[in-house]
Amino acid sequence: MAEKILTKNFDLRDSHTLRVYREAGGYRAWDKARGMEPAAITEEVKKSNLRGLGGAGFPTGVKWGFIPKGSTAPKYLVVNADEGEPGTFKDRYILERDPHALIEGMLIAARAIDSRVGFVYIRGEYVQPWRIFSAAVKEAYDAGLLGAAVPGGGFDIVIHRGAGAYICGEETGLISSLEGKKGWPKLKPPFPAIKGAFGQPTIVNNVETLVCLPHILTRGAEWFAGLGTKTQGGTRLYSVSGHVVRPGVVEAPVSVTLRQLIYEHCGGIRGGRALKAVVPGGASAAILTPDEIDIPMDVDGPKSKGSMIGSAGVIVMDDTVSIPDALMVVARFYAHESCGQCTPCRESTGWIYKMSHRIVEGKGRKEDLDNILDVAKRGAGTTICAFYDGAVGPYISYIEKFRDEFEALIRSGAHA
Amino acid sequence: MADPRNPRFTDQQLAEVRRLQGLYPDKRGALLPVLHMAQDNFGYISLEIEAYVGTLFDLSAAHVHEVVTFYTMYFQQPKGRHVVAVCHNLSCHLMGAKDIIERCKTALGVAPGETTKDGKVTLLTVECLCACEQAPMMQVDDRYEGLLTPDKVDGILRGLA
Amino acid sequence: MPKLTVNGKEIEVPAGTNLIEAARTAGVEVPHYCYHPGLSIAGQCRLCMVDIDKVPRPQIACNTVVAEGMVVETETPRVKDTRRSMMEFHLINHPLDCPVCDQAGECWLQIYYMKHGLYDPRMTDEKVHKPKAVPLGPHVILDAERCILCSRCVRFCDEITGTGELGIFQRGDHSEIGLFPGTALENAYSGNVIDICPVGALTDRDFRFQVRVWYLDTTKSICNGCARGCNIEIHTNKHRTHHNQGKRVARLKPRFNAEVNQWWLCDAGRYGFRWIDDDSRLTAPSIRTDGQMVETTWDDALGALAAALGRYRPEEIGVLASPQMSNEDLWALRRLLDGLGVVNRDFAVPPREPGEDDKLLIRADKNPNTRGATLLGLAPGAGGLDAGGILDAAAQKKVKCLWVLHHDLTASGFAAARVTAALEGAEIVVFQGTTASLTSARAALVLPSAAYAETDGTFTNFQGRVQRFRAAMPPLGEAEADWRVFGRLRARLPRVAADSALGAERPEQVFAALAAAVPAFTGLSYRTLGDTGQMVKA
Repeated sequence: MAEKILTKNFDLRDSHTLRVYREAGGYRAWDKARGMEPAAITEEVKKSNLRGLGGAGFPTGVKWGFIPKGSTAPKYLVVNADEGEPGTFKDRYILERDPHALIEGMLIAARAIDSRVGFVYIRGEYVQPWRIFSAAVKEAYDAGLLGAAVPGGGFDIVIHRGAGAYICGEETGLISSLEGKKGWPKLKPPFPAIKGAFGQPTIVNNVETLVCLPHILTRGAEWFAGLGTKTQGGTRLYSVSGHVVRPGVVEAPVSVTLRQLIYEHCGGIRGGRALKAVVPGGASAAILTPDEIDIPMDVDGPKSKGSMIGSAGVIVMDDTVSIPDALMVVARFYAHESCGQCTPCRESTGWIYKMSHRIVEGKGRKEDLDNILDVAKRGAGTTICAFYDGAVGPYISYIEKFRDEFEALIRSGAHA
Repeated sequence: MADPRNPRFTDQQLAEVRRLQGLYPDKRGALLPVLHMAQDNFGYISLEIEAYVGTLFDLSAAHVHEVVTFYTMYFQQPKGRHVVAVCHNLSCHLMGAKDIIERCKTALGVAPGETTKDGKVTLLTVECLCACEQAPMMQVDDRYEGLLTPDKVDGILRGLA
Repeated sequence: MPKLTVNGKEIEVPAGTNLIEAARTAGVEVPHYCYHPGLSIAGQCRLCMVDIDKVPRPQIACNTVVAEGMVVETETPRVKDTRRSMMEFHLINHPLDCPVCDQAGECWLQIYYMKHGLYDPRMTDEKVHKPKAVPLGPHVILDAERCILCSRCVRFCDEITGTGELGIFQRGDHSEIGLFPGTALENAYSGNVIDICPVGALTDRDFRFQVRVWYLDTTKSICNGCARGCNIEIHTNKHRTHHNQGKRVARLKPRFNAEVNQWWLCDAGRYGFRWIDDDSRLTAPSIRTDGQMVETTWDDALGALAAALGRYRPEEIGVLASPQMSNEDLWALRRLLDGLGVVNRDFAVPPREPGEDDKLLIRADKNPNTRGATLLGLAPGAGGLDAGGILDAAAQKKVKCLWVLHHDLTASGFAAARVTAALEGAEIVVFQGTTASLTSARAALVLPSAAYAETDGTFTNFQGRVQRFRAAMPPLGEAEADWRVFGRLRARLPRVAADSALGAERPEQVFAALAAAVPAFTGLSYRTLGDTGQMVKA
């Protein structure tokens, strides 16, 4: 069994308290970071091959480096705790079971980017996680870990609850929401590191990305890099759900294969049934077939099969599943969550949902499939943000990989 | 409960509004928290509340209305004492969300989006609440209830005061 | 200044220019909806995609700033195909309202579909339904189904008027433009959202269903509603007189002028044209005979006026000129009055309600040519009476011939009794103007003026900018441009018969004469004024 790193505190009693966190070795990385030059911290993170764990997989150290050198503007660290990608729940576990790890990670990142204020954007529905995290922040303030007493200029955490919109998980949609507006993503350029929240240089990092930082600093970038693959270091938390025997959060090195996750870590398919399809990286990732699961679950593995690791939300489907029905559910999601700002996404997510709904109601037409595919391909890459590309992943892969099933349903006129 | 048709924050609440506004480089950042506060205080967010909150932020009522209508957690009509939000996204759907929703409809006698006549429960279907390991699941007020079966749902709904 | 290439043509533009504007300087139009040079960048419509060398995917031109050495292509097969895709996205939920939509003929969905779309529609599911025919305010009506959510109107109300009435509510394809319930779009510039709406979502209540736009003629002109002189177009319907209730002027639109009004026009100016075709227009000269006003010929009317002017001594004549008159009108009048030795002349009649300058376009002075009247010397001559003095002198029968041009004195800031006394005291009241009023009703001789829309001429705005307006249609009935009337008097008045300035056939000639004589106008001519005008000399 591989060593528990990110999940090592999860099952400790009162793991969410400062006392337990400290007893387990917490805040020692921050002690070390306080004595390091910001640029040195960034170098370590670059060397560790830490990639963003929210969905985009961008090298974290490189992202930090985009903050203009010598800028005297206030810099904001924004934590994306707006977990919303269907199939993903690992950030919730961190907030509930290891909130101080996030606080420590924030302190380290803030030092690296010279930030005095961290905004933690927690999705509105996460009420218990919010309460637990808020209590941990209070503990940190009381202990002098946060606030003006923090050496180097002080660091404050502002917790900001969302109000129900998946698009606020997109980094600039989150920033708009933080600014008190609708969660409309912003045009890029300018990029957040140049002009982000409230017009200032901003780094948006995922919860899980930040909780890797204490481990990188205490045990070294090389060690972290060595845990993973050539392009991505460390372990990560895989959220596995659907038709597996043991759904839940699985920590594994990023070299773990999808097959291993499903069959070794999660007990295989429930009821001894057969695997029909699996989504490797949250609903926005293209679906994979049973012959495509011998891939490492790092930033490159699913990509080699035309999919993506995304948020590492693994949704497993057995042979009882109607793929057209699954497409309808996913299409309904994208239509509901489209922010409406730009034309291709706003207009076609609704239309594609209508078509997918008609198909499962037995009223599909033979031209529907090619229409969905063509419209999706025409919209991909044309929108303000990657939300639509996330919709296109399932639109195209479900139909292309299970076309026979769709055509049979349309021909039969049956309900899915 | 304060009157949503004639909304006014108390001095203490106004002080909290100012405190929240001060946390952000631009006070507009406090709009979502203040709307949550208003909803907790008044029960839902009426048009009058939108206009009132606008005055606290130097925002036109139209721009507050944009925010309230954009986010799913702000109720523009009175809601039940309890909100039961059943997830119907992919993992929950795979694990039987349809049956859960049907049982809720039968037990409560309303369709998703509606409130029971006695004002006790508003039933909603929602997108992923990110508790897929407990699928099928629902959110009941502030807490998540997972690994649901139709019978378990009966028990939870009966237990709502 | 960065140099870049657009469709193979090298151009040089200021740093910070976006690719839509840069392409324009190369003579290339990049189709777009949400971009507007007077508003912030939205980047929402996604229509303005262009190919940039070394960039893997097409980029929106509105949010891309020029860079040295950039190579831009706007007509590659890929860009054309992307445009066709974007047109399809825009039309997925758009209602097939063309037959009943005012925008037809000037609709940018129609125009770009014909140019860049031309695909076979394949959306056969039910379109999203939204409110239709919703009045937003006194001038604007909304059809939310037609709206393409470009957000220009929202940005206009936020950034230009600062009033923030409009928002985009909800999300996804249920997004909807609208007002906060219970409010109205009532700011003083509400009509501009009609101009900037690319489609028939925001249309003009005044113009609704009046006439199809392809029957309209367009004439460049200047608004006469205040001293700013916003540049406008007059749109006239002359081909379908059974439409628009037979009225000639169908609507006014702003014309871009960076120095005067940019892209905008206030509502008072936009909708202040009904008087031009109103039944109250004076269309024939008339003389009071036996207590009744009887229509007569210009010959007889001018004969009567010449007789009146000849009968009285110059100090017994009082002339109230108007800053509604053009530079040409005022100059010809000045020549006439100087020739006759009339010094009791003025143009400044106080308004009943003093106006106020606003922070945008609106000026307190509701006259288009106060500056011109000042520069051209229509203030009292040496020893002459001003407007109030002229009225009082008329009441005292010292001024016996009271010649009122355009003013309705009974609606002015002068006390009613003062006006009545003047009109009753004068032996003869001559009224020359466009519209019947309580003042013209008291005149013994009424001469009909052409409206500014019916003649060529110039106004001088409050900044000193001289701007041309052009005749959109011939004068109504027998109305005549004032300068022409003064010229026709010349033959009947020996003292001014030799004045060649009064002998002009065309307004251009009158202007040339005044430019030669008045230092402020030195060097200006119709040709140099062009379409955007010129400043008077200091």
